[in-house]
Amino acid sequence: MTEAGEVKRPGLINALFPSVVSGIVLGVIGAVVAGVIVNAATKGLNQDATVAAAYTGWTLFFFVGIGAFNGVLKWGFARREATPAEELQLAGKGQGIWRYFRYTTDHKVVGMQYLATVFVLFFVGSMGAFMIRLEQSTPGAIFFTPSTYNTIVGMHGILMIATTIIMVSGPFGNFILPIMIGARDMAFPRLNALSYWLLFAAIPVFLSMLALGGFQTGWTGYAPLAVQGLTPGMDAYCFLILIFAVSTTLAAMNILTTVIVMRTKGMTWGRLPVFVWGVVLSVILSLTAFPSFIVSQIMVLMDRIFQTSFFIAAYGGNNWLYEHLFWFMGHPEVYVISLPAMAVAAEVAAVFTRKAVFGYRFLVSGLVGISVLSVIVWGHHLYLSGSENALVAPFMLDTELISIPTGIFFLVLIGMFWRGKIWVTVPLLFVGGMLVNFVIGGISGIYLADLPTDEILHGGMFVVAHFHFVIPGSMVFGFFAGLYYWFPKMVGRRLDSTLGRLHFWLFEIGFLGTFTALFQAGLQGEPRWSANIAPPFATANLIASLFAILIAASVFVFIYNVIYTLVRGERAVANEWGGKTLEWTVPTPVPLENFEELPVVTSLPYDYGSPLPEPVTPAADIASAVIEAPIQPQGEV
Amino acid sequence: METSLEHVHELEPHIKVARARAGVLMLILSDALAALAILAAGGYLRTLNTEGQYKVAGDFAPAYLPGLLIAIALVLSGLAYYWWERRASKPGGAGQTPFFLLALVLMLVAGVSETWIGASLRYGMPIQAYESVQLLLPWFTAVHLLLAVFIGLLLGGRILRGRLAGHEFIVEVVGYWWYYTVVASVLLWLFGVYLT
Repeated sequence: MTEAGEVKRPGLINALFPSVVSGIVLGVIGAVVAGVIVNAATKGLNQDATVAAAYTGWTLFFFVGIGAFNGVLKWGFARREATPAEELQLAGKGQGIWRYFRYTTDHKVVGMQYLATVFVLFFVGSMGAFMIRLEQSTPGAIFFTPSTYNTIVGMHGILMIATTIIMVSGPFGNFILPIMIGARDMAFPRLNALSYWLLFAAIPVFLSMLALGGFQTGWTGYAPLAVQGLTPGMDAYCFLILIFAVSTTLAAMNILTTVIVMRTKGMTWGRLPVFVWGVVLSVILSLTAFPSFIVSQIMVLMDRIFQTSFFIAAYGGNNWLYEHLFWFMGHPEVYVISLPAMAVAAEVAAVFTRKAVFGYRFLVSGLVGISVLSVIVWGHHLYLSGSENALVAPFMLDTELISIPTGIFFLVLIGMFWRGKIWVTVPLLFVGGMLVNFVIGGISGIYLADLPTDEILHGGMFVVAHFHFVIPGSMVFGFFAGLYYWFPKMVGRRLDSTLGRLHFWLFEIGFLGTFTALFQAGLQGEPRWSANIAPPFATANLIASLFAILIAASVFVFIYNVIYTLVRGERAVANEWGGKTLEWTVPTPVPLENFEELPVVTSLPYDYGSPLPEPVTPAADIASAVIEAPIQPQGEV
Repeated sequence: METSLEHVHELEPHIKVARARAGVLMLILSDALAALAILAAGGYLRTLNTEGQYKVAGDFAPAYLPGLLIAIALVLSGLAYYWWERRASKPGGAGQTPFFLLALVLMLVAGVSETWIGASLRYGMPIQAYESVQLLLPWFTAVHLLLAVFIGLLLGGRILRGRLAGHEFIVEVVGYWWYYTVVASVLLWLFGVYLT
């Protein structure tokens, strides 16, 4: 332990440089300069090269401006190592709210940055969804041209996929996970900041798609259409994926290293909380699956800029290459999203049924089984692309096998509810909603895994309804379960329970109505990717659009709840729910390095038959907070 | 959110070593999978030979000799690094700095040469699938070699400042990336030769 000494309070110039302000200023200058140079070098004949150069300039100079390279250069060329005071400054010590706008290394700051970003991205993405439902509420074009509609669908898709990938691992994986394993920070704090700010740098690239003519491929970015598309909005899509994939890969490396190396004494692999297992397995999948996606987007960019032919059949390329590279990421990516959310559900269920995780090892084995199987099932997305018939049966079998470990997850959760002392809180409501929606999403998936039924349903609204039941219906519900559960620890205030219940019921009823109607539209034969619906599908689509109003209402109720809580919400106590995992043993708000003395773990954190844990931080207010933590806070009774 | 703690806890040395090892090995795993995806893509296109257009008359690969010389330079760079690392990675060991400099210079020469190869491939547009793969291989390799040079420069900075003492594990983990770069680059070159 080293005394930090005095932390210098930064002046205005020091506060702004480096910060997100200087990052944006330098990034814009870098984008313009790089774009102008390449435009001049190509005599204005290669728009894609100009756009790619501008995005490269933006990304590099944004990071110069925000100070991401300072630490790297000092690591190599400075005369001495960083002092504790400098480390504290970098971790945001004494910088108030401004630390959220700087290259701050504290894992809790990064977690909050992710959380705020997830909120904004979800809001933008859900607004895209409402535009889609509005356009599809009656037959014929209402507001958008087919091209604009396709762009909105594509942007909604890629934005929501990206957001759901980070929604649990980003905020909770950064804020909660290190505390859960008894660590003072992530293994690589600077890398942690880098992974967040890469995500931030991708947002202007995403928004620029609209200004650059959009893209017509949908979220999958299928080549050769991606190569043949004339608007540079497609370049924006490729860059978005590249930046996002690098961000996710760095975050995955960091989380995995943290869990491997930074666990406190006694926190063996067999005692890891289920949430940690879920995140670890998810990031292992990210590390495995994302490289092929990165390579696919590099190839698309090369095809667009240098006129190579990876995907152009006339010159020896092939569309199957893209489909394989894409879906090798695309299907595991569903589990990158699912595993942490499922683990959150198990964690929350244990606390609110006051029972140990039923079959802990069984559950972890199930999650491992899902991870392993998920990397060998991508071929079921190519059933109707003309792939080799001999491959169909193995891919069909693999895909159906996944239902076994997934079934274990359901059994475990039901086992926890069985004879548990069920405490119906908002987090538990979302777990319940997740189970209902996941059953529907999972069973409808079996029809798509089987070739005979997939031949009929493929490319239709049935698929849209299926994956919405799986991702938003199940995993976003899991995210909300985690959010209501950990929000008091992260923010120090308790989300309003009544508004939370209203949020849940509006969301669940709206969701079931919207996507059950789209199942019906799919069974009637409505295709996806159709800007204007045909009259036979009008009723189902109108019902879907009407129910979507409830989802919209739920979004605004949630936003109101968050704002209300931040302004006037009740202050949370250290152990809000009587949880046994380590994050509930530290004070709220959590100190900079989490633990004064690192805790020693002696058992699994789910022994709800025993008294509440002793606090590991000796501060008096914390001790009283833990002891006084109500088993059922008044707002929840 | 108020965060108050007046001191900073330093990580135990064995944790610093373990996290550096784990981090670099994961970076290598992720990058190796990207390289594998490129190899798989090249092999797949070759096998499919779509419409008989994968490789047509007049298609050419980068010249063999420059690639061979770069491969030799890379192997020598790896050996020089290994020679330096043998002593430098031991506690208090200084190593023989000329070997490190030799490794760095060879890596730099290889990186610049690979960039030159990529830039000098004057393929007529549109570029056939075979030539597309042949264009991707040197550029992918060049980026890696130049990244290794950048890491080498940072390490060189620490050597010049005398900041390796007590951080000998850095020599070891940079070595992981160094050797990986050498092996991956040589394999990618051999793959290009195989496609020819």
